[in-house]
Amino acid sequence: MRPDIAIPEGLLEPALTVGTVTPGSLDDQVLAFPETLPPRQWYIGITITLSALFIGLGFIGYTFYKGIGAWGNSSPVFWAFDIINFVFWVGIGHAGTLISAILFLFRKRWRNAIARFAEAMTIFAVICAVIFPLIHVGRPWVAFWLFPYPNQRALWTNFRSPLLWDVFAVNTYFSVSLMFWYLGLIPDIASMRDRTKSKLRKTIYTVLAVGWRGAATHWQHYEKAYLLLAGLATGLVLSVHSVVSFDFATSVVPGWHMTIFPPYFVAGAIFAGFSMVVMVLVVVRETMQLKNLITMRHLDVMNKVILAMSCIMGYSYMMEGFTAWYSMNEYLHHGFMNIITGTYGWAGWLTISCNIFIPQILWFKKARTSYFWMIFVAIGVTIGMWFERFVIIVISLHQDYLPSAWRVYVPTMTDFGILLGTFGIFFTLVLLFARVLPVIATTEVKAILPGAQPSHHGDDHHV
Amino acid sequence: MSETSFSVLGIFDTPNSLMAAIPKLRATKLGTVEAYTPYPIHGIDDALGLRKSPLGGMVLVMGILGALTAFGFEYWISAVDYPIITGGKAAGSWEAFIPIMFEVTVLFATFTAGLGMLLLLNKLPFFGHPVLSAKAITSITRDRYVLALEAESEAFDSQAAVAALQAAGATDIEVLPAPDRSPFLTSDYILRTLGGIFVACLVAGLGIFTLTKWFPLLRPMVNMQDQPRLNAQKPSSFFKDGHGMQRPVAGTVARGHLPTATGKQEEAASLVNPLPRTKEVFEVGRKAYHNRCEVCHGAIGNGVGSLTAAYGGKPANLQAQQFRDYPDGKIYWAIVNGKNAMPSHAADLTDAQRWSVVHYVRALQRAQNAKDEDLKVVAP
Repeated sequence: MRPDIAIPEGLLEPALTVGTVTPGSLDDQVLAFPETLPPRQWYIGITITLSALFIGLGFIGYTFYKGIGAWGNSSPVFWAFDIINFVFWVGIGHAGTLISAILFLFRKRWRNAIARFAEAMTIFAVICAVIFPLIHVGRPWVAFWLFPYPNQRALWTNFRSPLLWDVFAVNTYFSVSLMFWYLGLIPDIASMRDRTKSKLRKTIYTVLAVGWRGAATHWQHYEKAYLLLAGLATGLVLSVHSVVSFDFATSVVPGWHMTIFPPYFVAGAIFAGFSMVVMVLVVVRETMQLKNLITMRHLDVMNKVILAMSCIMGYSYMMEGFTAWYSMNEYLHHGFMNIITGTYGWAGWLTISCNIFIPQILWFKKARTSYFWMIFVAIGVTIGMWFERFVIIVISLHQDYLPSAWRVYVPTMTDFGILLGTFGIFFTLVLLFARVLPVIATTEVKAILPGAQPSHHGDDHHV
Repeated sequence: MSETSFSVLGIFDTPNSLMAAIPKLRATKLGTVEAYTPYPIHGIDDALGLRKSPLGGMVLVMGILGALTAFGFEYWISAVDYPIITGGKAAGSWEAFIPIMFEVTVLFATFTAGLGMLLLLNKLPFFGHPVLSAKAITSITRDRYVLALEAESEAFDSQAAVAALQAAGATDIEVLPAPDRSPFLTSDYILRTLGGIFVACLVAGLGIFTLTKWFPLLRPMVNMQDQPRLNAQKPSSFFKDGHGMQRPVAGTVARGHLPTATGKQEEAASLVNPLPRTKEVFEVGRKAYHNRCEVCHGAIGNGVGSLTAAYGGKPANLQAQQFRDYPDGKIYWAIVNGKNAMPSHAADLTDAQRWSVVHYVRALQRAQNAKDEDLKVVAP
């Protein structure tokens, strides 16, 4: 930026923080959380989430004892809650990668304040997601059979199966997200290492920070690595949910066999993920007094993304109807009519209302900056996106080509218990993360504070 | 000073003063100029004259390697080692390999970017760097910017470095002593480490041994072995007699084994050979005779087989007038039931094979007693 060119007020980037934030005050504000005892609300919160977690574990144990018969899955709906929840949680994870990678490539500097939390949510969401395929295989202790490795049975995996692509995609996604997250954490942990007074913490942080000393020679490689990781993660995040959608799109079930599925799934994933991030950030912002760092502008911008995704979802739903009509395929036609008038018609309309109608309120700036409306929309979208997967999976499966095999699917208590359990796992991990690691990427925020970068380097060095 | 100093740190309060000081310090040529900052500063790598990071090239190479690895692996498994046709696609059709190729490319590339940066280029984890034990480190990772003049040789002049940093505008100066370079891999250290590993192995081994004695290992998969099924040689409470394996119901006949020629040999005399005299039937008969009969009755049916000499047995001479006059049915009866020392061959020969043998025996008899007219019949 050259200082002699006057830029109109409206085109200037709004302030990224509220009030005076210096690198030192940022550390004192954000890195102090692990050094203090959590407030009472935190204990209440973790009691609730841990209860949900143990309820879920109990039902998972019951599933192991009883077998998959403990669930409502039955011919022809062999996939139900397990895959719905898997797709739901993987989707929620996508927001984190989008914020940390894609917005980084677009040089959206506001992302720096929320990237850390969103990345953490990615990792926790993927942990919740992988539980479902693992327990659905029935014998999770031999789940490693999913990987192609030389074995005594002289068998290999089928590389033409989208389910195997899923194994590779989700595992790669988890490893890459974890690495991205940890590399981002290293300089922050180094800051914590050098400010803590406790000997135990010092030892732990020393090991975790791997001797980071902030040398310019290190930063040079670090920034390059971060840029490369962002570029790679961008391709990855688009591929992961596309591969998840292949599980359905490559089959011949009416309502699944559609080319729109990959982009439609990716948009839905970002949609659900952003809603979850907004929901959690509002709570974090209020309870941890981070209003000066996570500003109303962050929430406003994220709500705009939610609105845009909602419009893409609306287009996708209309395309589904259009395809059903234009194809003149009676099975496809029946499948679509089933969504809006069938046994589960209420689920179809709930999906459409929550994902298309309710988010339209975000066209108003008042709604985008109001806690009530953004939480209302976010909860709506979370419910709507869960039911969208229900609609895709259960409605398509319960009535396909063979009318004699049709059956109405009814989930059991165990299905709901495990779903509740994953919410417990997710929010327990979120709560733990909020207290033991820096919830805001302090290093990244320091770099975008006013005066953080030399004002005249452009004249001196880039000749 | 007897101890040599490793480097001199100068603390700056703003990135601008840091950037302004870099060219001045580089001009002194007292030692390597290194900066320590809480976050990456734009343009500092150019100011310090750092070479471009080679990470991009490394990632590109490893990414391509990842794609090739995945393709080779998938192709070898799907088309070479375990070619199974699924979805009607050719075993080597590569289109389905693309998603996994992409994922493995990203996996190789990201791990190269992340670990290559950390381990290879930055040489971390390293906990022994002198800056880590400097007083200034708490400022470096917080909000101060440090320039260091680091010794390149024994001749490092720390006094001149301090003066240069002060002249460049550093608000605070810290001189770091050289790190302790005494070797830590002493024989005592190695012995203690090996001893520790040995004790740990011993404890772990004994622990696991005891545990498996107390709690017998749970087999991970028992579904196929321990299923509620009857084993042939095992008892079972399911049946009244307590046996797992039950006799067939009385009168059960195996397929293709309808009992024939069950009475006396004379009663079988009326049986008629159902098979036609074709070349194929004679071939079946010849083979069966060769396998089952020849050892005793001899290759031409004269009762002089290879076993005869060895055991002194007296098999029937099928060329004798008595047997030449036998009806087909009586020979058949002998094959099914056995006669004198001859055992039954019912279990060895199917019904068709027995009748073929009968035809073949007739052929042998006629061949050994051929008349002139037989030649005429054969002649075209």
